[in-house]
Amino acid sequence: MSNIAHSIGGEAVTTKLAMKMEDSLQAFAVRAACFIGELDVPYSEEFDGHDFGATHIIAYVGDEPVGTLRVRWFQSFAMPERLAVMQRFRGNGIGQLLIERCRKLAESRGCNMLYTQSLPQDVKYWEKHGWRRLVAEEAGAGPKRVVAMVKAVDPSKPLPEVEAPEAVVLRREPQLDASGLPLGSAAN
Amino acid sequence: MTERPTAGLSNQPVIAIKLASTSDELMQCYMLRAAVYLGEQQCPYWEEYDGNDYSASHLILSVDGEPAATIRVRWFATFAKLERAVILKRYRSMGLFLPFVRWAREFCGKKGFPKAYLHAQHRLWPIFERDGFRRVSDKLFHFSDHEYGAYYCDLEVDEQKRPTIHTDPMVLNRPEDRLDMPGVLEESMERGASNPHAEWTERRAN
Repeated sequence: MSNIAHSIGGEAVTTKLAMKMEDSLQAFAVRAACFIGELDVPYSEEFDGHDFGATHIIAYVGDEPVGTLRVRWFQSFAMPERLAVMQRFRGNGIGQLLIERCRKLAESRGCNMLYTQSLPQDVKYWEKHGWRRLVAEEAGAGPKRVVAMVKAVDPSKPLPEVEAPEAVVLRREPQLDASGLPLGSAAN
Repeated sequence: MTERPTAGLSNQPVIAIKLASTSDELMQCYMLRAAVYLGEQQCPYWEEYDGNDYSASHLILSVDGEPAATIRVRWFATFAKLERAVILKRYRSMGLFLPFVRWAREFCGKKGFPKAYLHAQHRLWPIFERDGFRRVSDKLFHFSDHEYGAYYCDLEVDEQKRPTIHTDPMVLNRPEDRLDMPGVLEESMERGASNPHAEWTERRAN
């Protein structure tokens, strides 16, 4: 949890949970800037149908929304995803600030495991921050491969060996119980 | 005029332009602007979402169902102001921008506005000039890191069809990008006028 800036350019770095429409729009705008604008992700993949069943955490520098993280809640784990920090504010530990806020939130809800899906090139980043691969191999294929990673909510209570259903959590929720390949990009 | 496939060929992308009329379409407009202005041009959030989004009309252009471009229109007494025009990077080579601006002009003209007005980034002046826009004056001004000039163009207004207070009231109730087609409230006329809450006011009067 080192190197997290508490202020940038004299402006305080803060986080909050989205509570109002405007808050959610700020979270969505940060994701649109990073994923659609920078990484060229199609709109329909970025806004995948899970946004209204999730918790959104937003990071601010002063009153400027600069980062966001979406958290989905499953029975046995919490799933942080869609981590985004505006390009010009990167390198200040804002991503870790958002993850830590998520961890505390999960802790307050009695949840003991965090689960996420990382791009192969980002695995080192997660490992550096105490996450480990759930299974050795990657799910999906081609440029859309993802690596399932987990972390204990309470670092003093290591996780038992677990297997989270990573093929299931990529689906749209109404289809979570459907059989077959996950919907969307992960199936391609 | 809302659905305008470019061609009957099945391998051609389907381009559709419409007035954003649901919260989801509005969200698409906002996200396209976030992608381009916040993501590509590093515009601060509070300059991009400047407080005028809820007093404006938003146009959305989609390519094969994916949101691709948007324009915000604000309505002044004698002119319509086109602004916040963006096209997503991956759709920029398709020549969609000027047809979209022309659609916006036509839309404003059908609403009876005699002029469209816009602030053009300096680098885009030749494009607007080629498409019939004229400088309002020599004034050069800047905001949000860019230099701008004010441009306008005269719009074609059909004096017979332009909405006025004498237009059929049910035409004025129609969706604004489809003033020439019956709207949902015309369908409601089938139910007749039962004036269901008349007694509320009567009760209050007594």
